[in-house]
Amino acid sequence: MPDRDRALALAERVLRAAKGADQAQVSVTIGDASYARFARNYVIQNLDALQTQITLTYYAGRKSGSISTDDASDASIARIVARAREIAVHVPPDGGFVSLPKPAPIAPATHGYDAATAAATPAERVDKLQPLFARMRASQLSSSGFLTTQINTVAIANSLGLRAAFTGTTCGLQLKAIARATSGYAEYYSPQLGMLDARAVAERAALKATLSGEPGDIAPGTYTVLLEPSAFAAALKALTQGMGGFDVLDEKDSWMVGRIGKRVFSPNFTLRDDWSHPLFASPPFNQNDGAPTARLTLIDRGVVKRYVTDTYVANKFHVPDTGHPNFPVNSIVDPGSASREQLLASIERGVLVTRTWYERVIDPRTAAITGITRDGVYLIEGGKLSRALKNFRYNVAMVDALADVELSDTQVLSEPDSDTLVSTVLPDAKIARYRVSAETAFA
Amino acid sequence: MAAHFAAAAARVLDTATKAGAGYADVQFWTIRQEDVDVRNGDVRNASDVSSAGYGVRAFVDGSWGFCGSDRLDDAGFDLAAARAVALAAASATVAGRVPAVLPTERVRADYRTPAAIDPASIGLSARAALLLEAERAAHVAKNVVSAYAFMTLFTTAKEFYSTTGSAITQLLRQAGSGCGASAIGKDGDVQTRGGPGDFGLYQGGGYEVIERARLAARAPEYGREAVLLADAPRLPPGPRDLILDGSVLNLQMHESIGHALELDRALGWEANFSGVSWATPDRVGKLRYGSDLLTIVADNTLPLGMATVAYDDEGVRPKPVTLIENGILRAFLSSRDTAAEVGLPQTASVRAQDWASVPIVRMTNIVLEPRAGTLESIVADTKDGILVGGMRSWSIDDHRLNFQFGPQIGYEIKNGKRGRIFKQPTYTGVTPTFWGALDRVGGREDFEVWGTPNCGKGEPEQSGRTTHACSVARFRNVTMGVVSGA
Repeated sequence: MPDRDRALALAERVLRAAKGADQAQVSVTIGDASYARFARNYVIQNLDALQTQITLTYYAGRKSGSISTDDASDASIARIVARAREIAVHVPPDGGFVSLPKPAPIAPATHGYDAATAAATPAERVDKLQPLFARMRASQLSSSGFLTTQINTVAIANSLGLRAAFTGTTCGLQLKAIARATSGYAEYYSPQLGMLDARAVAERAALKATLSGEPGDIAPGTYTVLLEPSAFAAALKALTQGMGGFDVLDEKDSWMVGRIGKRVFSPNFTLRDDWSHPLFASPPFNQNDGAPTARLTLIDRGVVKRYVTDTYVANKFHVPDTGHPNFPVNSIVDPGSASREQLLASIERGVLVTRTWYERVIDPRTAAITGITRDGVYLIEGGKLSRALKNFRYNVAMVDALADVELSDTQVLSEPDSDTLVSTVLPDAKIARYRVSAETAFA
Repeated sequence: MAAHFAAAAARVLDTATKAGAGYADVQFWTIRQEDVDVRNGDVRNASDVSSAGYGVRAFVDGSWGFCGSDRLDDAGFDLAAARAVALAAASATVAGRVPAVLPTERVRADYRTPAAIDPASIGLSARAALLLEAERAAHVAKNVVSAYAFMTLFTTAKEFYSTTGSAITQLLRQAGSGCGASAIGKDGDVQTRGGPGDFGLYQGGGYEVIERARLAARAPEYGREAVLLADAPRLPPGPRDLILDGSVLNLQMHESIGHALELDRALGWEANFSGVSWATPDRVGKLRYGSDLLTIVADNTLPLGMATVAYDDEGVRPKPVTLIENGILRAFLSSRDTAAEVGLPQTASVRAQDWASVPIVRMTNIVLEPRAGTLESIVADTKDGILVGGMRSWSIDDHRLNFQFGPQIGYEIKNGKRGRIFKQPTYTGVTPTFWGALDRVGGREDFEVWGTPNCGKGEPEQSGRTTHACSVARFRNVTMGVVSGA
C-alpha cells in the first residue's frame, strides 16, 4: 500500500516545516476514485478522479489557522505554514480548545484493502455492467446507477507525536430498474470488486420492478412496515447524527438528552460502533484528529448507553475521547433471529419499503424524520407481497418507532454516506407503527 | 486574466488526440475557499483551502470519458489524458447508446466577476471582528444558548482549452455570510432563528457581498425571535393562505422548479440518485406548471448570480432563456448533449464542482419575474393567513412533486395585520397544485438575488452554486402543520 506510506511521509514533511507552532496537526488524504455511471442501459459518464489534499492546522495557544492545498512542493509547504501561522496570530482564540490528541496505541487494521479492486480498469468495470444491461433489456426495463471502485488513503501526524495512516478500497454498485409504472432497486457494497455478482444485483432489481403492474393507492395512517436495509439505514441516521457529544453536551439538542441509561428502545435493538467489522474499510482512528477509535456498544438491548466524542469535546467537557467525529461512523445493528421471509410472513397487513429519499430530521429531540419512499413499495397482505403501491411521505419519530422493532438475521453493508463517510451494517427491520402522511402520484 | 496553463493544456490535448480522442477539452482550475466561523464568542474555524488541478474530457466514438487530476507534471498530464480516452473507449463498447454531440466551436474569451472589494484587502482580524460583533448581538437574553456567524469567500480561476482551438479564461468570485441564535424554552425545546435567506446571503462578487448582509444589524432580531419561538405554540394543522418571504420562496423555487427543469434529470440520467422530473420535454408549450403569475427565466448572465459566467464548463456562452412563461412550460436547463437529444435550446447550464468532477447539467441561476406590491402590502391584503421565514428542514420526492417544508418561524396574519408567532410552521404540497395557487408575486422592492453554495447532485455527489432570485409570494389554501409519530 504505497499510498499509505507516501501520505504519512508527506504529513511528517509538512509537520517538520511547522515546527514553530505550539501544536500542529497535518492530515493528508489521497484518493483514486472511478465511477462508471449509467442510465437507459448504457454508460453516460465514465470518470476517474485522482486527488491529494494536505491540511495543516497550526496552533498558537488556543488560536489556530487551518490551510489546505494539493500542492506538495517545498515552496507550497512553506507558503501554507506561513499562511496558517498568520491566521493563527490574527484570529481570536477558541476558548474550547485544550489540546490535540496525544499518541496512543492504534489497533492494526487487518482488512479493508483489496489489490484487485485497487487495480480495476475502465474495461473491467464496463464488462461487469454488460450482463446487467442485458438483463434490463430482456425485461424491457431501463436502468440508472453506477459501479464504483475506489482507493482511499488518510494519514495524520501531529506535533505531540501521534501518527496514524490507513488505505482502504471500496466497491459499490447501485441499480435502479425502471419499468413503465414501477421501479426496483438493489445495491452491493464491500471492499472487494471480485465478490460483486452484478447479475444477481440485476436480478433483484428487475424482480422488484416487475413484481406487479399498476401501483395501488395507500391511505394516510399508521402501518406496520418492513424496511429493507437501505431504507432502515437512512432512518437510523436520524438517531446516529444526534449521538455526538457536541450535540448532547454543548447544544443540548439531541434525542439522547435525558435518556442515557434508560430503556428507550425495544430489547431487540442493539447498536454498536466497530471499525473492525469485515465489511468495513475504515481506519481504526478518527479521520479528523487521529485519536484511536474505540469499539463501543451505544445502545444495548434497548438501553441507551453512551454518546461518542472527539478530542476537542472530550477535553472541553472532561469526558473520555472515543475517537469519533461528532457521530458514530461504523454503525452496526445486531441481527435478530428470524429470517427476512419469516418477518414478512408475520405481517398480516403492512408495507415493504425498499428505499427512501430526501430524509430530514424535523425534531432532533425525538429523532423525528420526514422523507419519501422510492423504488419498490409493496402492500403486504397475509404475510405476502400483494401489489405495488404508490410512493408516500412519512413522518416518524424514531425514538418511538424503534420501541417496537424486530430484526432479520442477515446483515449487509449499506451505501456509505458521501458527506460523513458513515458506514452501516444492518439487517431488515420490521417496525410496528410507521406514520404515512401523504401519498404521491407515482411508484 | 493571465493564462498559466496553455502549454500544459497543449500537452494534454495532444496526448488525448494521439490516444484516439476525436475531440478533447481540458479545464485547469485554481480554487480557493476562505472560511471563518464563530460560535459563542469563539472562533471555531478559520480556514483557507486551495487546490489546483484539471479535468480532461475525451470524446471517442460518441462517448465521453473524464479524468480529474492534480498531478501537474508531464507524467501526470499524460496519465490523465490516457485515462480519459480509455474511459471513453470503454463506454463506447456498450450497445444502444444515444451518441454524444461532437463539439465544433472555437471560442476565445476572458471574463472576471465584477467585485467592488477585493477580499485580499480585508484582513482576518477584520473578518473575525465583523462576525464576533454579530454573534454577540444575537445574545439578547439568558435563554439564548448559542449564537453563530460565518462567512465564506470563493475564488476560482479557470482556463478552458479544446482541440477545436478554444481558449477561455475566467476569474469567478462568490461570497456568503449569515448569523443566527438558538434559544431554549421552558420545556427544554431548542429553536433556532437565523439568516439572511434560508442559510445566509450568497451572491457573486467580492467582500461587498459580506457587507451587504448587514449581519450585526440583523442579529438582535434573530435572537429575539429565537427566544419567542422557544416558547411559542406549534402551528395547528389545517389549510391556510401562505405568504413566503424570499428566504423560503427561493428554496421553494430551487426544489420544485429548478431541479425539476434540469434536462438530464428529465431524460433519466439522474434517476438513481437525485431523481427524475414530473415535467418532461414532450410537454413543452403545453404543460401548465403554475398560475399565470409564474414566469421563470434561466439567466446565467444575472448580476450577483452565484452561477454567472461568460462560458459554462463545456465552453458554451449563456443567454437568458424563459423556462416557464405565465405558467406554461417553455424550456429546460440543458447541456450540449441533452439539448440536442430533444431539440430544445442550450442554456449553458453545465458546471463541475471542481477540477476533479465531471461537468453536468446544473440549476445555475433562475429568476422568478417580479410583479407588483411589497411584502407589507401583501400582508395587508391577506385576511387570514401565515407569513413564514427562515428554513429548518425541507424534503421533496424524486419526481419533484410532493414536498414538505419546515420554515423557522410563522407569523399569524389576521385582517391584514401580523399577530402571534408559531414554531414549526410546516407546509406541504404538490408542485403544480401549489404553484397553481400562486395569486400574488411581489415587486422589485423586495426582490433579492438569493444564492445557495451547496446544491447536491450527481454520482459521486457534487456541490453546486445556484441562484434563485425572487421577491415574495402568496399561495392560497395550502396544507399546513404536520403530525409526526410512530
